[in-house]
Amino acid sequence: MKILTVDDSKTIRRLISGIGATLGYEVLEAENGHEAFYVLGEHCKTIELILLDWNMPGMNGLEVLKIMKKNEDWRHIPVVMVTTEGERSHVVQAIQAGASHYMIKPFTQEDLSARIMECLGMADEF
Amino acid sequence: MLKYTETEIRRRLIEGLRFTVPEVIETMAYCEAQFIGQDTNINFALSSEIAAMIRLYGGLDGMIAITSEELLVRTIVSRILGAVPEDLTSSDLLDGIAELINMVCGGMKTKAQINHIHLSPPLAIIGNDYTAVWKTDQPPVVMTFQVDNHVLKIHAGL
Repeated sequence: MKILTVDDSKTIRRLISGIGATLGYEVLEAENGHEAFYVLGEHCKTIELILLDWNMPGMNGLEVLKIMKKNEDWRHIPVVMVTTEGERSHVVQAIQAGASHYMIKPFTQEDLSARIMECLGMADEF
Repeated sequence: MLKYTETEIRRRLIEGLRFTVPEVIETMAYCEAQFIGQDTNINFALSSEIAAMIRLYGGLDGMIAITSEELLVRTIVSRILGAVPEDLTSSDLLDGIAELINMVCGGMKTKAQINHIHLSPPLAIIGNDYTAVWKTDQPPVVMTFQVDNHVLKIHAGL
């Protein structure tokens, strides 16, 4: 099973890939919204979780999230916003648009790992 | 929404930076970052081995930059990634420091509770013989932090 990380930062994508691998997941990477839609089109049946950045060049994470949630094939996949945007208004907008969780950078690897496990229903398995 | 004067916004952002930098470094890279002091410069000029900057726009125009020597950036990025420092490429260092300034500026906004300022995508520079100058009418504040016996600086032109 797979996790999709959408972030313009290669550093964050690699960090998330490492955590996903530790949890036994294959992590697919997308640098922006358009790449994310392509990956979703190819792998939506096997992607169990999406980790989505907010500030990206071009389409921002909120716009990407809204498009994902309008798509019949993708809308069931839980989305965690992983972002430096910590303002309450951003959190509210993301949740209203369909995000399951909101995670503010910086975070420890343990925090992110725990959040991923929670979203995947793995919290009791470790 | 609270309305602050420009002077108050600047003060809150500088204060936010001071507390956000150690938080980001310690949380992401597991190294201690100690605030050493701050000063004002005549110019907003960058010439360290590695630098990254983000433009602020919207409620206040400004520039925030981070500068350091390559060795420290290599150490920080390697700890974030759990990678061997020597294995990191220039591209890894550029992306890593760009993400650091991104997190620092995001945290600065949150801590300052200034919501109407927007952040540009980061710009990162690596090299030895360069000087980057940004024209501003306000004397930039330069904050110095000590990380693993190396110096990391934050330049705030607000």
